[in-house]
Amino acid sequence: MAFRKRNIPLSRAGEAPQDPSSSPTPTTPQSISGTRPSPIDGRLTTSTGTPSLDNILAGHAGLALGTSLFIGESGTTDYAGILLRFYAAEGVVQGHKVHVVGLGEWWGRDLPGLAGSKGEEKRREAGERMKIAWRYEGLGEFGSRGSPAPNRATAQAKAGDAEEPAAFCHIFDLAKRLELPVQSVINYITVPATAKDSPFVSVLQNLQRQIACSPPNSIHRLLIPGLLSPATYPLTAAQPQYVLQFLHALRALLRQYPTRLAAMFTLPLTLYPRSTGLVRWMEILSDGVLELSPFPNDRRLSTSGAATQEEERPQGMFAVHKLPIYHEKGGGGGAEWLGEDLAFTVSRRKFMIAKFSLPPVEGDTEAQQGGAQESHGGVNMPSKAELDF
Amino acid sequence: MPPESRIPPLLQPYTRLPKHPSLFLLTGTLGATANWLIIRFLCDVLATKNGSRAAENDKAGDEVGEGGTAVVLVSWIREYEFWRNEARKGAGLDLQRLGNEKRVAFVDGLSRMYMPEVGKQSITQNTVLTTPQTQNMVTARTPARMTPWTPPAPLMSTSEAKSDNKGYFFLHTPDLKAFEETVMSATAYLESSSRPPKSILLILDAPDTLLATEPGITPSALASTILQLHAKMLHAIVHVSADDALLSLSMPPQPLEISGHNFLVGMAHGSKRVISCRVLDTGVAKDVSGVLRITGGAGGGFSELFGEDEERVEARELLYLVKGDGSVKVFERGAGEG
Repeated sequence: MAFRKRNIPLSRAGEAPQDPSSSPTPTTPQSISGTRPSPIDGRLTTSTGTPSLDNILAGHAGLALGTSLFIGESGTTDYAGILLRFYAAEGVVQGHKVHVVGLGEWWGRDLPGLAGSKGEEKRREAGERMKIAWRYEGLGEFGSRGSPAPNRATAQAKAGDAEEPAAFCHIFDLAKRLELPVQSVINYITVPATAKDSPFVSVLQNLQRQIACSPPNSIHRLLIPGLLSPATYPLTAAQPQYVLQFLHALRALLRQYPTRLAAMFTLPLTLYPRSTGLVRWMEILSDGVLELSPFPNDRRLSTSGAATQEEERPQGMFAVHKLPIYHEKGGGGGAEWLGEDLAFTVSRRKFMIAKFSLPPVEGDTEAQQGGAQESHGGVNMPSKAELDF
Repeated sequence: MPPESRIPPLLQPYTRLPKHPSLFLLTGTLGATANWLIIRFLCDVLATKNGSRAAENDKAGDEVGEGGTAVVLVSWIREYEFWRNEARKGAGLDLQRLGNEKRVAFVDGLSRMYMPEVGKQSITQNTVLTTPQTQNMVTARTPARMTPWTPPAPLMSTSEAKSDNKGYFFLHTPDLKAFEETVMSATAYLESSSRPPKSILLILDAPDTLLATEPGITPSALASTILQLHAKMLHAIVHVSADDALLSLSMPPQPLEISGHNFLVGMAHGSKRVISCRVLDTGVAKDVSGVLRITGGAGGGFSELFGEDEERVEARELLYLVKGDGSVKVFERGAGEG
């Protein structure tokens, strides 16, 4: 045991009696851009494009390849869509193959661009910080919620701060547009509007073909924005035999390419509530389950999450229901913050997930002062008998 | 490492299989799966090299374990690689080697079940059974519906499976008949060993996936298939999801929920022991992964028939912690570390 190199994925070392065509070609972790071995078990991970989301994935410090993330969002907002955009943009920047199901090219043209000078500055700044191997940095770094970007950048500082390709996770700016290098980087998979057959079969076939045709060490990212949303999918798609069979097959496909494919999809929870059996089955068939509950658009409510006035107000609560690998094993080790209340804050440059805490009631200062004065003047002072216990 | 140290002492009486035919039900939820528990059962059955049960397992002293219990593991949502890793880490078992030794057969219900064929453009795809099946027996169902997806030989023949993959079988369709046949060929593989096993333990991981993904399958048909298989083996363990969302019906109830509910309740009634995992009611704790509830199910009536009551278990609730290295700690409430 002790003689094994830690950074070689142990799980893939043996030969499973799988279909020979399906067995993934073992690749050296370092050779592929945008991937790195997990500090926990050495399996390859890739970045979600959102540093604070990478951090909460049970210590793997990234989304493990071969797994999927299921993000549900209630309400009419599309914060989960921002996560998907970052995920796609990160893939484009890293030269991964990005597959988008159901949406057209306009979606790809809208991807956020790389944050420019500020990000560079941060990176340089971080390079001067103490150089810690990223694997230690990645362990339990969730507490450092204030500065996810420098943290992330120290990872590459190890390899030398001048090396741009070593970056695992980039910072994107929602106000900018990503320039797509080649048009064929993003594969748009359309969902056929058939009423009789499963609309997902052609999606799966497309995906299988694309992966089979690509070079053996290419990384694929699958995105399904708004799964089952009536805007994209025919009504019949929500029937369990269609969508659940699709997710089952997708799970099989992910397991078939444990070092090459990762998926992320979002579901409108208002249309498909979590309390139904269908959605629960979708969650069971996914590896990670996250839920975004945006605050209603109310100034009073949305201020409540920020500890101070300077801090940005969170836009909603972020719940973690299941984590890839971690929960499959039974849960244990590496996710200390799992029970915490989490909130997310979206700004131009980041989607940040941090602990949620209620601040002192800020609007109530007058009343507090008034109360203090009154007590000082002894006007409504409670009698001593009332105070005596 | 002796198996005793892999299985927490408090758990040992419950992972031990009784002498008489038994059906166990394991339930899990989204945040607390019972996968680790299945590994403990595997450990108890397969790792008895010098175990104390050597004498009762096999008369032939040194060949203990060889003629003991063999395992057919059927998994619908988890891949072989997962089980292999977990068995190695959690129980110190090499499933690959055990498979070659014909002590373990794995039936893969994930990889090829709903995977469409590439190349063959789908002229005939999965058409849905609109008429719900009545309470027919399994044999009434035809597998023809899914055949367009499957390779020319829809079912892996026993000989092919034996020659290519040692103890590794695929399910190509959700059809129950195919499931039964595949399990039987897996059993035949185990029995073709030079020392045929005395008994076979059938572990079904998430058979309720079939109900969820294929509305044409009724819970009673699935349950009767499982019972038929159980009748041919000595022991069976069924792992089913028991989330609240799956059990309490939404309004209006979805057929998916009803069938899952019926199946689970039916299995619970028929099983001798029910072990359920759920997350801690009071929130997430760092040193507790979940709560384990062990109850003797109604299906324990057979032991009275045999005139033995030693296998009856008391209802009990324990806490467990799955550690990062795969080991498990089981303890009473309040007896956790620190």
